[in-house]
Amino acid sequence: MLTFTEEILLLLGDEEGAFLPVDKHAFDCALAGAALLDLAFRYRIDTDLQALVVTDSAPTGMPMLDRILEKIVSRAEMVDAASWIRELSADDTETVREQALASLVKRGVLERKEESFLWIFRSVRYPTIDGEAVRGIKLRIEEALSDNIPDPRDVALLSLADACRILPDLFPDRKLDEAAPRIALLRKMDLIGREVAGTIANIQRMIVLAARAEAARFRKLRLTLAALGGAAAAVTLLAPRIPLPDSYGPNLLEHLWFDGIWRQWSGYLILGLAVAGLAVAIVIRKRLVTRIARSHRWRLSHFVLGVGCVLVLFAHTGFRLGSDLNAALMGCFLTVLLSGALAEICTGAPSRLRAVGIARPAKLRRHLMWLHVMAICPLPALLIVHILTAYRY
Amino acid sequence: MSRRTVWWLVSGTLLASAFVVASMFVSGDRRILPAGAMTDAHHQLEISCETCHGTPDFADTAAAEKALNKSCLGCHEDELKAADDSHPRKTFRNPRMAGYWEKLDARLCTTCHAEHRPEITRVGAVTVAMDFCMACHAEGEQDVRVERPSHAGLTFDSCASSGCHNYHDNRALYEDFLVKHSHEAWLALTPMHALAARARAEGQSAATPLGPGDAVAPASALADPAVLEDWARSGHAAAGINCGACHAPAAGDASPDAVEAHWVDEPEMSVCADCHRTQASTFVRGRHGMRQHPRIAKPRDPRRALRGLGFDGMLPETVMAWLEDPAVPERMTAGEARLPMRADAAHRALDCGTCHMPHAVDVVRAAVEACTSCHDDEHSRAFVGSPHHALWLAERDGLAEPGAGVSCATCHMSKIERRGKIATNHNQNDNLRPNEKMIRTVCLDCHGLAFSLDALADADLIRRNFSGRPTVHVESIDWAVRRAEAQKRKGGK
Repeated sequence: MLTFTEEILLLLGDEEGAFLPVDKHAFDCALAGAALLDLAFRYRIDTDLQALVVTDSAPTGMPMLDRILEKIVSRAEMVDAASWIRELSADDTETVREQALASLVKRGVLERKEESFLWIFRSVRYPTIDGEAVRGIKLRIEEALSDNIPDPRDVALLSLADACRILPDLFPDRKLDEAAPRIALLRKMDLIGREVAGTIANIQRMIVLAARAEAARFRKLRLTLAALGGAAAAVTLLAPRIPLPDSYGPNLLEHLWFDGIWRQWSGYLILGLAVAGLAVAIVIRKRLVTRIARSHRWRLSHFVLGVGCVLVLFAHTGFRLGSDLNAALMGCFLTVLLSGALAEICTGAPSRLRAVGIARPAKLRRHLMWLHVMAICPLPALLIVHILTAYRY
Repeated sequence: MSRRTVWWLVSGTLLASAFVVASMFVSGDRRILPAGAMTDAHHQLEISCETCHGTPDFADTAAAEKALNKSCLGCHEDELKAADDSHPRKTFRNPRMAGYWEKLDARLCTTCHAEHRPEITRVGAVTVAMDFCMACHAEGEQDVRVERPSHAGLTFDSCASSGCHNYHDNRALYEDFLVKHSHEAWLALTPMHALAARARAEGQSAATPLGPGDAVAPASALADPAVLEDWARSGHAAAGINCGACHAPAAGDASPDAVEAHWVDEPEMSVCADCHRTQASTFVRGRHGMRQHPRIAKPRDPRRALRGLGFDGMLPETVMAWLEDPAVPERMTAGEARLPMRADAAHRALDCGTCHMPHAVDVVRAAVEACTSCHDDEHSRAFVGSPHHALWLAERDGLAEPGAGVSCATCHMSKIERRGKIATNHNQNDNLRPNEKMIRTVCLDCHGLAFSLDALADADLIRRNFSGRPTVHVESIDWAVRRAEAQKRKGGK
């Protein structure tokens, strides 16, 4: 039989081996709660509203559970289940997760796949080999949602899944609003599940408050950079090229815009900035960074790189858009910069946009992001041709 | 946007770029690649990249510059030699000149004449600021202001723009020449183009002239009496040149059977070149015929390149067709010119017959009407009614001596003498830009040097095709005379 920890991991994972987009704190709390449930169903602990007590300190034979049991036994003072969920979610869930996944791999339910992206970003996926196990768990939850008398184990599992808010992902075709009273009733039946849900709700409230403060701080910076970058890109697109001085002598501008070596430096600098900007976007998009503050910094760095691109582009071209393939390259590059900047303005200042007559900034943002990605697509090809042409001729 | 769409777009554009890259390194159309438009001098050759870019792929900068220089000299070296180049490359290759290389590397043509840079391309395809003389002549022993007090207050941008100096060709501008011709009147007592006069005198052939009845050609070719009449009035008939000479050069003799057996309705230009070698060799060096210059690179052979890469015979014919290099069209059309041309002449392709009419071989028409039937700029339009035109009409009508008239060709396709034979130089560039190149070969036949310098420095007068007198005065001749007199006085003391 699978443990709760293993079952909740199977529910949180998809067939490709990635995890559902569940907040990391909720994820950790669910794992901590699942471990406590495993101990409770093995009669090692019991809970009431005030305290979590050890009923049997004998090892379960499962290293991940025995480690937690040992920790609870060694604690002198008695605390409630919510406190244990908070503590375990902070310190032990990484080990619990690894051991549970290793156990699932050993059982032949999952397989371990190590992958790398751009030779830098390494990740491990756990695709499902045996889908029967997941289907069985889902079936049990569905039965618990029906009017039959549920198994206590299924009630506990349902409570955990609901606490993580993954029921809509698990049952996309089912109208869960109609089952809400039944879910609420079942949650009351399982104390640990209820505590997990309460703890997650508390943590999420704190996270939301912290995130709002953090977001407000970074939003202004991002908006400023987006406005700066967007304006610079628009100027690059519309401004007439800067004429060169018509006199002999040291001429920085002529060096910048016509000297092969200088143009190589500025060109490769733009390439580096653009690749870095793309890598940062992938890191954010692929959720390779999870902590919110860190995510804000990565997003900010994306805009810093964008502004850097426009400035170096000026050094490379002096507002010269070129002709033929060079014009196409400049057009795509400036479209990427402009659409990205405008999309961020839609995200960061929707009320101001509404005030100037743009009724649906979110829709506009979607269109701009579509344009942003579309304009990126031909850039690799255009850049290859641009660079090879410079060296060949 | 789905991940699949993104990958399709990226892959599609990468595939398209593979064809463009193949056009660079194997063969194929590269017209979308140049970083900027070419100069007026070379735009006719734009699709033949290897004419100038002769280095192997990814050659280092030094090798690329050397190859470019070689390409430039391949076409222009003779011209520079003829111009007695004032700044020959060999002078600057001397290690003693190393100090100047950093300032202006005169060892390389591309230092001053870079291609594909329309924004900084100035008159004469110069791509450095026009006061470039200051790079070497503003300090030390080369400082012109020290030796020439007359130059003290002058700025360096006036060196080449005021009719005083050219970088390469100063044949009509050097000091001794100025002094020698300083006392000439604006117009000679007997204004006459000596070579033109001689050419017309020598043009009378000793051969028995042929008439319409003497034409030897297949019956179908003789059917058009107008063609026959044109030929009978032409210089060819007067010199005893029968139809077979052009239409059947491969025929061993002029017998009707041999001519008919080898008859070609539309002979190639090479047939003209067989007899008119000087004209043909200069034609391909000028703007009208440069697409036939022997130095123009031939289209690359994609099969050869693919064989070298180990892909021989692996690509389907449709891909191979795409990889064919476009060839430089053999003939320039008026529509492709960058000078203003008449709209009704746009389709006209340039070869010998375009100006000379194949059967009439009319040099009179070729000297004026042929030009004005295409060229539509102010200078060309102003020719009719100008003093030069009046002289030309007088000569044409027998009212003036041969050589007294001035046609378009008199100035732009002047007569040259080679190995004792006088021919028309069909390379307009030999005396076109800078326009002082025209002084010795044309202007001085009739005008004084001072007047010629002033006239050629007056842009408005040029637009009016020299109807009027110059309003610009080039002072160099006055300064040269004053300096010579001062030196004479100093020597006398």
